Amino acid sequence: MSGDNTTIFTSYDRNPKLYDELYDPDGKVTKVYKKLFKLYGKHSIADYYELNNKAKASFFNQGITFRVYSEEKTNEKIFPFDLFPRIIGAAEWEHIESGVKQRCLALNKFLWDLYHDREILRDGVVPLELVTTSENYLDQMIGVDPPGGIYTHISGTDIIRHNDGKFYVLEDNIRCPSGVSYVLSNRTALKRALFGVFNHYNAHTVTNYAENLLELLETVKPAGVDIPTTVVLTPGMYNSAFYEHSYLAKTMGVELVEGRDLFVENDFVYMKTIAGPEKVDIIYRRIDDAFLDPLEFRKDSSLGVPGLFAAYKKGNVTIANAPGTGVADDKAVYTYMPDIIRYYLDEEPILNNVKTYHCSRKDELEYVLEHIRELVVKPVDEAGGYGISIGNTLTDEQVEQVRKDLRASPRKYVAQPILSLSVHPTYIEESQSFEQRHIDLRTFTVMGPEKSFVLKGGLTRVALRKGNLIVNSSQGGGSKDTWVLKK
Amino acid sequence: MLARVADNLFWMGRYIERAEHTARYLNVNYFSSLDAPNTTSQSRDFVLRSMLFLVGEPAEKSEKLDEDKVLYRIGMDRGFSPSIINSISYARENALSARDLISTELYESINKFYHFADSYPTKKFVKTGLYEFTSQVTEMTAVLRGKIRGTLLHDSIYAIIMMGVNLERALQITRIINAKYNDAKKSPGSYGDRFRNSFEWTTLLKCAESYDMMRRHYKKTPNSLCTLEFLILNPRCPRSVMNSLNQVYRHVRTLDPLKIHDKDSTAFKVGKVRAEYQFKRIEDIEGDVQAFIEHILNELSEIGIQMEKEFFHY
Amino acid sequence: MAQLYTIRYTAENHYDHPVVEASWQFLIVPQENETQSLVRIDFSNSRNARWEFSQNGFGFITIRVRNRHELSDISFEAAFELIKEEVNPFAFDLSEVPPYNPENLQDMGFRLEHQMFLKPTPLTRLPEDTGCFRFDHGRNCLENLADLNTWVYKALKYTPGLTGVDTPLTEVLEIRQGVCQDFSHLFIGIARAHGIPARYVSGYLHQGMGYAGDAQMHAWAEALVPGLGWCGFDPTNNLMAASDHIKVAHGRDYADCAPIKGVVFGKGDNRSNHQVQVTSQQ
Repeated sequence: MSGDNTTIFTSYDRNPKLYDELYDPDGKVTKVYKKLFKLYGKHSIADYYELNNKAKASFFNQGITFRVYSEEKTNEKIFPFDLFPRIIGAAEWEHIESGVKQRCLALNKFLWDLYHDREILRDGVVPLELVTTSENYLDQMIGVDPPGGIYTHISGTDIIRHNDGKFYVLEDNIRCPSGVSYVLSNRTALKRALFGVFNHYNAHTVTNYAENLLELLETVKPAGVDIPTTVVLTPGMYNSAFYEHSYLAKTMGVELVEGRDLFVENDFVYMKTIAGPEKVDIIYRRIDDAFLDPLEFRKDSSLGVPGLFAAYKKGNVTIANAPGTGVADDKAVYTYMPDIIRYYLDEEPILNNVKTYHCSRKDELEYVLEHIRELVVKPVDEAGGYGISIGNTLTDEQVEQVRKDLRASPRKYVAQPILSLSVHPTYIEESQSFEQRHIDLRTFTVMGPEKSFVLKGGLTRVALRKGNLIVNSSQGGGSKDTWVLKK
Repeated sequence: MLARVADNLFWMGRYIERAEHTARYLNVNYFSSLDAPNTTSQSRDFVLRSMLFLVGEPAEKSEKLDEDKVLYRIGMDRGFSPSIINSISYARENALSARDLISTELYESINKFYHFADSYPTKKFVKTGLYEFTSQVTEMTAVLRGKIRGTLLHDSIYAIIMMGVNLERALQITRIINAKYNDAKKSPGSYGDRFRNSFEWTTLLKCAESYDMMRRHYKKTPNSLCTLEFLILNPRCPRSVMNSLNQVYRHVRTLDPLKIHDKDSTAFKVGKVRAEYQFKRIEDIEGDVQAFIEHILNELSEIGIQMEKEFFHY
Repeated sequence: MAQLYTIRYTAENHYDHPVVEASWQFLIVPQENETQSLVRIDFSNSRNARWEFSQNGFGFITIRVRNRHELSDISFEAAFELIKEEVNPFAFDLSEVPPYNPENLQDMGFRLEHQMFLKPTPLTRLPEDTGCFRFDHGRNCLENLADLNTWVYKALKYTPGLTGVDTPLTEVLEIRQGVCQDFSHLFIGIARAHGIPARYVSGYLHQGMGYAGDAQMHAWAEALVPGLGWCGFDPTNNLMAASDHIKVAHGRDYADCAPIKGVVFGKGDNRSNHQVQVTSQQ
């Protein structure tokens, strides 16, 4: 290989205060990583430099890019990919998978209850106000039975490991979670660059996501439909996740449609094809509730389909995820998840929840105002890592600003202790070396009435800036291929 | 297939083809003028005017042309809709919105093509890069055609793309004939029927990548008659108008073979135009090339409108 | 005695730039309920665009029109015949109405059942400290609501053209003028603030007796009076809704009840003109 003989870990700076996925508490490389550590150790930094560039060019040429919106202009960027994979052992994964399934099941039951009998509110387990003041609670969905009783067909659960070594759920994304296409392209990229390492590990495949998704979507087809026609509804090619939308349509072998490709007649949905109208039965939508139907929700929406909601209410089309699921991935609802799980499943939560302070409660608001420096303050209903303030990184003025915002609209915020996300060796371009960076894990679950499926892998997102805790791609995060080992 | 996506694929095909012809026209005309046999054909001004004529923006007689500006406008100007960079960029946008239907290989090639053109230095292009850039563009379009043929299912998606490619080819060849016919009048040859023997007929054939095959077929120096016959009527010349019409006809019939009986269908319209040229003699055309050009441009545009109505309008 | 009403609704839309794909939804068909039964529905449009009956998210009948061809003008015409039973808004036993007691209204079951009509919406949210009407604990709910009806009637001056369909109450209360939407929103906002479920009603008003309401659709409010059920209040005219009030639909506020919604994509402005005519034969 290359003439430069510096092996890649000679300068690795391990901070013992952080939980490093590669090392056990005694500073020894853990069992699952041992082989990989050895294999990668044979490469020099110069090899890495070259491989990294090749991988980048491959993503760029394939157009696996997203667009970042800022005030000046829109940039096309690749989602930085790290060549050092994250490995999750079989036992650990089993724990994660069962925990994620448990949460998804509970959330679905919770949603059914919220739009039907509302027992959980009646019993005072979750406060009424939390639901009735949520902008994502759709009154139009009250009493509507989604096909198969499923609201959250697709969930993306964000999990981190704290420095106590335990897994915590950070967010349950049940609106339009994205990222699954990167799981697959990361795997492909790593296989291309370093196929040899796969010979030494027995990792689960991740290519079976699309088939499972389609299979489960078809189990919730509208009544009376024999062979359903499924489509993926995208806001269009300028959306930051368009690559993923087209990827999913392509791998499921279904049409990728925009709102303007669909219309409603006699409360049935049709798409406009070159051979005339064709009925659509299942819509995997990647647009938010508010934009679904300009006649029912936001009237200025050009992304949706006039009359779609009427067709849905009549049971003539399945929409996944169901309209109105957003009420349950509100960060304020998150804090009640342990109670929600106990209430509906009569089980103890398998995965931990992070202690959360509700700024809508007076005493907790007071606590938050006094301890801003030790807390992460998050807006309740923003996605993508926007609007998050991490206490120990704020200037005095910023602290004052956060206090002001909190006092002005306490319902809008929750706060959590600053967690120490675990770290993982990551190739850093600027220094051309491996350094510790914080990571999380997004898992992907699809759920039908009979069974659910958790993709054995997931997206390990990594915060590329040193010390940064926000891993979202819109905030300069990268990702790693994630191996779940077979037993 | 979605009507909107069919529209995208159709235009993807058209823009790929348009980029190719514009690039080759620049390349061939510029470089054959360098050692052309007479001073008119050698004149830089003559060549630049011909280029502007092709892209539909003929220069005023009195206008003094600046080479850098003209090359920039036709090659790299994002503000000029027929520019090469725009054709490539539109081809990619259209491919992007139909990306789930085309092969990864095809999309990757188009994307690479776009990034090549997008990052090509403007200054280099107008000063020293004309040959490299335009050759690269024509090479890459050939690769794309290969990917279209070799990596897509030959179904309705393929048919729609090929209809775009061939309709645009017929159109561009006609426009190129028009431009070179115009040049041949201005720069006649030096012997016999001077118009018929203009050097510009050779250039025209090269613009259509058909020079060698024409020589093989006729075994003589190109003149107006055999050049026009070859490029318009010869169904075995891959770039001829006739062949392009045959291709459009073949592909439109795969979309719906029964449509041919419907007088208002695209298939019927294409069949009719094709039949007309199948039994035409070059002598009928040579008498009034201008009339032929107007006629065929009209017919092609009507085919386009008919397709729009039949397949893409919803 | 029952009355036969004939209602004619017309709308004319003009677009400065031709539009190609467009949809409209009309929420103008009178509701069938205990006092209203439809005899006839006619609907047509000048472009012969395809139309169909459907329902909005709250179950009210809509007419949805979809046009696929280029147009700059389109007009719609609807005619309804309906039999309306005589309504006496005062036919109840006042002794069944309990005194106003905010604590009873805090019952979880009650709030859950009616949360949709208890929470503020962008159009019914009251500004803070406005010195608005306050319920009198000495009087029962119905009396309080009737007083509120009169208070709103007096608080605003009926003036067309100053407010729009999306004017929030903050602005309405600044200028103290408005039309039936604004009167109704104010009534609803105050009733909800006192724990009384209240909803926005759109419909037609028979003009025979010279009520304010124009040749447009009318709006009023319904409030849930404990012990009695939903009662209609027309604060624009300081009336209880009665035989002359023909209900079309109710919702959380105007946004749920807009008589016409159009989804039209194109540049430039558009103008829209509506006319309503209500006539009665006995």
